[in-house]
Order: sequence, then C-alpha cells, then structure tokens
Amino acid sequence: MRRHIVLVSIVLSVSALAYATTYLGALGPLGFDTRLLAKLFLVYAYNPGAPELTVMSPEAVTSIVWDFRGVDTLYETVVFYMAIVAALAIYRGIGYSSSGVRGAGLSLIVRVVTKILIPMNVAIAVSIAAHGHLTPGGGFQAGAALAVVSVLLAVVFSALSFGKLGVSLARAVALRSAGLLTIAAVVLAPVAFGVATGIRGFLMQNYVKLDSPLAFPTHVSGQLISGTLIWLNLAEFFAVSFGFFVIFMLLSLREDVVREQLGEEHEH
Amino acid sequence: MSTSTLEVFLLVLTLYSLLATAGVSIYGIVARPSIAKKIISLTILGDALNVLAIFIGFRVYSVPPVLLGFDADVDLMEFARTAVDPLPQALVLTAIVIGLAVNLFLVFLALQVYRLYGTLDTRRTRELRG
Repeated sequence: MRRHIVLVSIVLSVSALAYATTYLGALGPLGFDTRLLAKLFLVYAYNPGAPELTVMSPEAVTSIVWDFRGVDTLYETVVFYMAIVAALAIYRGIGYSSSGVRGAGLSLIVRVVTKILIPMNVAIAVSIAAHGHLTPGGGFQAGAALAVVSVLLAVVFSALSFGKLGVSLARAVALRSAGLLTIAAVVLAPVAFGVATGIRGFLMQNYVKLDSPLAFPTHVSGQLISGTLIWLNLAEFFAVSFGFFVIFMLLSLREDVVREQLGEEHEH
Repeated sequence: MSTSTLEVFLLVLTLYSLLATAGVSIYGIVARPSIAKKIISLTILGDALNVLAIFIGFRVYSVPPVLLGFDADVDLMEFARTAVDPLPQALVLTAIVIGLAVNLFLVFLALQVYRLYGTLDTRRTRELRG
C-alpha cells in the first residue's frame, strides 16, 4: 500500500514537471536561445577592451567558477573539505600497519600496464589543471582525474602500496591542506597588498576594478595565465586530488584491520 | 535557422527521459529498503539533475563556451550569439565534485552502519536499539 502511494506521487510529480517545462516554459527558452546573463558572461570572459569587467580568460566556464561566481566555488571547496573531515572523524585512530600480506595485488601483466598508465594519468591531470584557464578543465576536473591513480594503486597493487610510495594518510592530509592554504593566500593577497600600500583591494580580486588598480599578472613571458585563475586551479587541483587520496586510502583499508582497530565497541 | 519538428521532438524527448530517470531514482531512494540501493539511486538522481542543468543551457547549432583564437581579433558578439550557456556548466562542474565527496561520505556512513548492525536493511536497523 505504502509503495503504491510513493509510486503514484512520483508519477504525478514527474508529469506535473513535464507539463510545466514543456507548456508553461518553467525552464525558460530551451534549445534555441541563450539567456542575456549567459551572453554577458561570454562577452566579458576575455575582453581586453573592458578591463574593469573582464576576467582575461578565454574559458568562460573557468571565468565563472573562479571569478564571476568565485565565492560560490570557495564555499563548495569548504563543503568538500568538510566531507573529508567527516570521513576522517569516522575513521579516527585507524591507520595503516606496515605488517601486511606479501605479494598482494593483481597479476604481473596488470601491474606492468598500470605502471605505464600512472605517469600518463599524472601528466594529463597536471595538464588539465595548468590549462584550466585556456581550455575546458581546471582544478576540480584535474583532481578527479588524479584521484583515479589512488584507486588504481589500491586495486592493482593493494592498499599496502601507498606506504611503499611514501603517500601516508598524514602526508595526503597535509598536501590537501597546503592546497587550501594556497587558495586562502590567493584570495587574501589583494587585501593584504592593499593594506600594505594604502590602495583599495578586494577579496578574490583578479583584474583591475573601477575603484581599484590592483591586478594579478595576466601574462608571463607572453603566455596568458589569466591572473588568479591559474593559481586557484593549481591549488584546487592539490586540494581535490589529495582529498580523494585520503578518502580512497581509507576506503581501501582491509575490513578485518578496521574492525580490529575499532575494538570492542563495534562488535555486534 | 528555422527550428524543425524533429529538433523540437528530440529536445522534448531528452527532457522527458531526464525527468523520468529522476522519478525512478527518487522511487529508489524512498522505497528501497537497502541503504546501498538508496545510495546508488542518489547518485543516479544527482547525475540526472546535472544533465538537466546542462540541458537548460544547451542550444542547437552551438559552439563550446571557449573563445578560440583569442589573440587575434575575434568577434565577441558573434561568440556570445553562438556559444552555449556557460553558467550551468560551471555550477555542474562543482556539483559533480561536491556530489562525489558527499556520496563517499554516505558510503563511509553505510559501512559504519554495517559494522555496527551487521545489516544495511533499514527495516531491520529500525528495530535495533543501541
């Protein structure tokens, strides 16, 4: 009976949504026109003719992520940070012990192929992060790409391989925090510089504003780096990738090791 | 460019299939008793809504919101007229990573529930005490 009520209410809601989106225009113009807001973002993403409004990045998505709506992204980084803090809190006091099974992992073929793949994966991830202001990509995508390495390590070489490579839980947490501190430093730098020199500066300021001449360098030896964008992308890359390292390291712990370390209170 | 009936039909079909996927996944979250299946349904719901957000910004006959050849003199107005909406893409990009982090946290909680109670069935965990 209860299942029928759930089914009927879901069918009714989906039908109502379908009607509202097709006949009442609930989602705005679909498929054939962009909104005025989108056009503003597209015109001002890279527009040296309007220095007070532009981000100086030809990639409109990264411009929105780290400049037009940068505070949003900062908040989302905090959410990501807190999710990992929560996971660490559940696993408090549990660590990797070096005494494990010898010769663990998949077959030789898989291990050799993975050894070839991992450097490529790292190179691609760094490239995605470093070109985030020029081509589709950025810190989040690069972090997710590098997170694959941790899963590969855990599955192909067993969870013990983290210790052999020198990636301990504490180091991963430290590198993630370094990424977050770099983001904080980039966000606060214009304000600190402004206080030191007496010029007005804003939080997360990237390029010149109407009432503030401060700007991060947009070009380095002729290459466009788009001011804060490349630094924020690289820092976010560290924060996200090592955040995922922490999570996948914890998830790949052997169940009997966890139960042993959690102790009596977790017996059922 | 005139809009053909086929284009409109395909757009509406995409929209309806996304809504239907969201409906099925909500059913999975609400009605399935297993926590593992609830988490799987939640990831499907998240993906369906992300694609829906991208779909809102999509337009037929468009270019990606990346300005190519920016060093040369490019027509910014023409770019703004033909590119897709970059805002939903920016929101979805962060939503995917946050969704992954939250899903992983839920997996941790589910693992802990299994360790404490020996089951992921909500009908049985509801009866347990302590």
